[in-house]
Parts: sequence; structure tokens; C-alpha cells
Amino acid sequence: MIAELLFATFFGLLLLGIHRKVIARIQRRPGPPVWQEILHMLKFSFKTTWVPATASTALFVGVVLVAIGIWTAALLVILSGGSLLVIFAIYMLHKIVEHGFGLSSGSPYGKFGGVRSVISAASEIPLFVTVAAIAIFTKSLMISDIVAYQELEGPLLATIPLAAVAMYVVLLSKMPFGPFSIVESKELVSGYKTEHFGVWRAGLEVCNGLKTYVLLLTFILVFIGSLPFWMVLIAMVLITVSLSFVCAVSPMLSPYDSVTIQTLIAGLMVAYVAILGVMS
Amino acid sequence: MKKQYALALMLAAAVPGAGAMVLSSQGLIPFWAYAAVLIAGFPLFVLGLGLYWMAHEGEADIPFLGY
Repeated sequence: MIAELLFATFFGLLLLGIHRKVIARIQRRPGPPVWQEILHMLKFSFKTTWVPATASTALFVGVVLVAIGIWTAALLVILSGGSLLVIFAIYMLHKIVEHGFGLSSGSPYGKFGGVRSVISAASEIPLFVTVAAIAIFTKSLMISDIVAYQELEGPLLATIPLAAVAMYVVLLSKMPFGPFSIVESKELVSGYKTEHFGVWRAGLEVCNGLKTYVLLLTFILVFIGSLPFWMVLIAMVLITVSLSFVCAVSPMLSPYDSVTIQTLIAGLMVAYVAILGVMS
Repeated sequence: MKKQYALALMLAAAVPGAGAMVLSSQGLIPFWAYAAVLIAGFPLFVLGLGLYWMAHEGEADIPFLGY
């Protein structure tokens, strides 16, 4: 399990590096090497580390531990075939963690990033609707049961494609440089993580690697099913490239527009699930 | 933080994690106990390792008032 944890961290960071590279190439820039995010994580480990004078030290440091801890838990839940609800609960917790990151430093940029994180909680609404659509068909939210269902009935991607689209939007909202990435918008410097530097940022990078790996693995297991490990990795890369393409060609939305579009998607998904529920 | 404190933090996370891995592989502890040790220990290990690399041998360097 320790090996899987380390692999997930580094592969997740590699996926984020691929994300940056693909965006750069689409925009006709050379871009950083694909292992840049891994180098970032290592680089920040060697930077001078401090706690700002305006920060709440306990929260400033503790929130980094929580950020890594919750995504470690999420990975272990997936690998043990646990409940999808736990994964999504951890996803919700991550919002609170982002908020904690922003508020702990005392920096106005961090605070605005934290506030935007709460505003963008609208992106979680499609997530709940996705859960409902899955439950209608599989009668269970255990990942092991969902995978077993797909071995008998075929991928849920074909059965409930709109639910997969909603989950895809959720993935998109978590990718950096995307249309919904309002928490890290450039007018806020680096948003909620502006003041977390040195080892604290390295910890946040580890969290980001784990988060990316876990969310992509969840999408594959829930909508495609069980695949050989090498195919899972290829599928992760392909999904990442598709997300990168969307991020490269779409501008970052204003907070109001971001929340409005996500709420509209949520409304469509509620109607879709209601129709599914009536028809089943 | 002094270098030896950072090392102690790292070891305090790594040793139980390795121990839990061995015990879990032998079937002596349930999976959830192994998972709990990892969830608590992995974040501490990551931060402990980074702090150990950068900490000075002599005086403590954290908290440094950055402003």
C-alpha cells in the first residue's frame, strides 16, 4: 500500500505536468517538461520555509497535514473498493481545506482564494447528481459493486453518458488553468496557496498529485470499470489530455459566470436523473 | 525547527508505517488499522522529510518571520 501511495503521488504529479505541457503546445508555447510538477515538489522541499507573522501557525501548518491525509484516505478507500460516498465526502472536505489554506495565512490574496473556494462549491452539485444516477442502476455505491455491475452490464459510460459528462465537469473544475479555476486566478497571485511556500507548498504539491490520481481513477472505475493496470494509466493520460485541450481553448470565467454555468449543468443533471428515475 | 527534531518527526511517521505494513502483510492487524497509520503518518513523513533536508544543525529556523 505504501508503494501504491508513492506511485499515485508521483504519477499524479506527472499527469499535472502533462496537463501543463499539452496546454502550452496547443497555445504554441514550448511549455515546461512533463516532469516539471515533480521537480516543483522537490524544489519546494529545498526552499527556505517560514510561517508568516500574520498567520495562525497551527492552522497554517495543520491544514497541509490534513490536505495530504484526506487524499491518502481517498486513495485507500478506492484501492479497497470502498464507498463512492466517502470519496465524494473527501472531495467536499477538500473545499474546506482550501478555505483553511486561504484563511490561515492572513494574506488578502489567500483569503480571497479561500472565499472563492467556497463560492465554487457549486461544482459539487453535479457530483451529487452523478451519485444518484449511478445508484439508480447499480443499487449500490460501493466501488467494488459498481465495478462488478459493469463487468456484467457494460460500462456506465454507455448507460448514463450525461452523468459521466457531469463528473467530467467536476474533474475539469479541479484542473489548474481551467475555465472554473477561479480559486487560483492570477489576480489573486496564487489564490489560497499564495503564502504557503517551502515545505508547506511541497506538501500541497503532494496533495495535488494524489488528488489528481484519485479523481481520475474514480472516473475510470465508476464509468468504464475494471481495466488492466497499464490501460488504467493510459486512460488517465488520455482523459488528462482531453481536459488540457478544454483548458487550453477556454478562458477562465469570472466567479459569477463560473458558478452560473456549473449551476445550469447541475439543473440539467437533476432533470436527467429525474427522467432516469421515472423510466427505471 | 532543529534538525534532530525534524528527523524525529520523520522517523515517528515512518517507523509505525513500516511496522504496520509488516503486521498487515502477516495478517496480524486489520486493513483499517494499517490504513489509519498511513493516513496519519504519510503527511507527517512528507513534511518531516522536507524540514529535515532544510533544517540547520544549530539554531532553530522556524518560525522565521517572513514579513
